[in-house]
Amino acid sequence: MSSLNLSLTLLLALTCLPGLRAQSADLPPGPGQAKMKTACLECHDSGIIVQQRLAKAAWTKEVDKMIKWGAVVDPGDRDTFIEYLSANFPADKEPYVAPRTATAKKK
Amino acid sequence: MRCAPTSEATLDNKMLSRREFVLGASAALGVVGAVRPLPSWGSDEGPAIPDKDGMIVRSLRFLDLEMPVEYANSFITPVEHFFVRNHMHEPSTLDPGEWRLSIGGEVEKRLTLTLAELRKMEQHTVINTLECAGNGRAYAIPHVPGVQWEKGAVGTARFTGPRLRYLLERAEVRPTGKHVMFRGLDEVPGKVPRFIRSIPIEKATDGDTLVALEMNGAALTKHHGFPARALVPGWIGAASCKWLTEIKVLDKEFEGNFMSPGYRMPNQPVKAGEAVKVENTHPATALNVKSLIASPRDSASVKSRVIQVQGVAWAGEADIAKVEVSTDSGVTWQPARLGKEQSHYAWRLWSRSWNAPKPGAYTIMSRATDTQGRVQPDSVQWNPSGYLINIVDRVQIHVQP
Repeated sequence: MSSLNLSLTLLLALTCLPGLRAQSADLPPGPGQAKMKTACLECHDSGIIVQQRLAKAAWTKEVDKMIKWGAVVDPGDRDTFIEYLSANFPADKEPYVAPRTATAKKK
Repeated sequence: MRCAPTSEATLDNKMLSRREFVLGASAALGVVGAVRPLPSWGSDEGPAIPDKDGMIVRSLRFLDLEMPVEYANSFITPVEHFFVRNHMHEPSTLDPGEWRLSIGGEVEKRLTLTLAELRKMEQHTVINTLECAGNGRAYAIPHVPGVQWEKGAVGTARFTGPRLRYLLERAEVRPTGKHVMFRGLDEVPGKVPRFIRSIPIEKATDGDTLVALEMNGAALTKHHGFPARALVPGWIGAASCKWLTEIKVLDKEFEGNFMSPGYRMPNQPVKAGEAVKVENTHPATALNVKSLIASPRDSASVKSRVIQVQGVAWAGEADIAKVEVSTDSGVTWQPARLGKEQSHYAWRLWSRSWNAPKPGAYTIMSRATDTQGRVQPDSVQWNPSGYLINIVDRVQIHVQP
């Protein structure tokens, strides 16, 4: 049990390290950003969010789907999330440029 | 933003395993072990993913990796260049000695098989081009939600394992058995529906549908479904369930999110942006006819006026009849030469040598036609989920003076 606690402590410590939530910095500042990180980045990295280019109606459907699927969102935050996503990742924003994984070292 | 967080009020051993797995992945990113900062995005040295090389990162969690189109230059795609599409967490722990594959439902004899037993059965090999249904989704306008795949959620590999038909024969499918369901060991967060889908019994008993254990002559890697996956050749990748652990014969199509409303196509063409009622849709099954230009690369500036245009073309359950190339933005088309290597369900390499008449900007296009008479369209066939998009491929290049 103590080793579990130790592991848990270590896990929590590591979780707080910068970078473990690999791309959370990519979510731009604004109302809702902090709660978005908690609710969305529990399962996802931010890449899947920042690559979307959607109108408000489509963002609304996505947020509602995620809540239905278990995202922990206070009812009062739903509209904030929709506004945040619609403002930062609208349909007419320039395309997202995805990174690449490291190139394998040649043996 | 596809899926939901897990409640972590309790942290049982399974969750701990998942955390360890996440940490393992993070260590692979170079952020934990040495407490180094993440590599900066866009640098030459991106996040390191074991067994993957220079892939486009669509998502790190859940892992979705796209093959850069310039890698579409070989008949068999190396595993390190093969795209990865995960809907959920990969299994955090999986002991191949403990793993079992069960076969049940509308059968006379329920089976539970070990990996060793599956390996002892007659093995069959199928060279298959596997493509995600959403490959090309990024080109849907208006944009639709989902992984914004561009061109490279596709690859061709040699898959080996026992025929599913053989397993179903051993289990003795009842006359009531009409569909075959696959369940994998993906770990599902929150209230997300499990990734379970089914295929019709006719496809399941096709001699080329496999329980695949190997990919390109080696055991499946974790990202590709170790120890076993379904391999449903010529069909969308979602049919080929990874980390397979249960096969269930059903009297009707499986009812679940990833059969409906997921992975469905409109019965009739729809206008861009138009909503479609689910009753006016059908499951996405076989792949479309499609081609890609691997070389020259888009936006390339080339010195030589002699340009080798080359790429791949595939057609799901059909075969490629011809590939044509245009170097004048689609005004005229010339035939490409098809590669010698071919196998039903596998893409064909193609090439055409072209002499640019003078320096300047050119749009090069490729257009495939298959043995069913299908031709790649010159505009996106929009649908609400961005599935099976197969517009003619095009690259723009500049020929230097």
